[in-house]
Amino acid sequence: MKLVEGMSDDVTIVEAYGRLDSTTAKEFGDRLVSLVQSGRGAIVVDLKNIDYISSAGFRALLITKKASAEKQAKLALCGVIGEVKRLFEISAFTDEFLICPTQAEGIGKLRQ
Amino acid sequence: MANGPSFPSAAGSSSACSEIRIANTMSELARVAELVDAFGADHKLPNSVIVALNVSLDEILNNIISYGYDDTGHHDIVVRLELGREKVEVVVEDDGKPFNPLEVAPPNLSDKSRAGGVGLHFVRNLTDELKYARRDGINQLRLMKKITE
Repeated sequence: MKLVEGMSDDVTIVEAYGRLDSTTAKEFGDRLVSLVQSGRGAIVVDLKNIDYISSAGFRALLITKKASAEKQAKLALCGVIGEVKRLFEISAFTDEFLICPTQAEGIGKLRQ
Repeated sequence: MANGPSFPSAAGSSSACSEIRIANTMSELARVAELVDAFGADHKLPNSVIVALNVSLDEILNNIISYGYDDTGHHDIVVRLELGREKVEVVVEDDGKPFNPLEVAPPNLSDKSRAGGVGLHFVRNLTDELKYARRDGINQLRLMKKITE
């Protein structure tokens, strides 16, 4: 798993690559939570280049969501496509997150 | 190990059976994912099948490593992938506590506070058949995935 971070004005963008599973979820969640706790008020997580997410990866996303709520930070996901989309549907996590079709739309949504 | 009549013979480099023995630590799961990816590439499996096998194995092995043992010692877990006729069979064997995942109740998906419990739900939804046996102190979980797009 690899994370590529960027900024678009005040919105932080995190692009994740590879597998989000038992071996990588902790690093992924820890990084997102630390961004939230360091005061980033708006974060878009792009999952377009993720091969799959297991329950460990979903747990990391839920922990990030909770940390965001506590800090009143805004969180959006994008690139939820293909097999990753199917895994969101099976686990019924689709409604748990603000999901935008593209990174640009996610950034736009968080700027509102 | 003799191949059954339903298996193509293990000719050339792409054997119809792949086996790996891992230790009971989470970092070992990366090796399993690499084996599944290589097996999928060798046999030109659809991505949906590779993902289903990878997610299922991550859940099953995470469960075994996290909850399967009463001691902190080293244990081996064996994972075997077998290519059948339009299906892949996966066998996972561990010497942990008896645990039949088929007896675990499905999670309540409307419970918004849930952070876990989804793992076996994934396994059930992503595979076409699950069989459990306990024999001579070994848990054997056998799952089957049909090869469809």
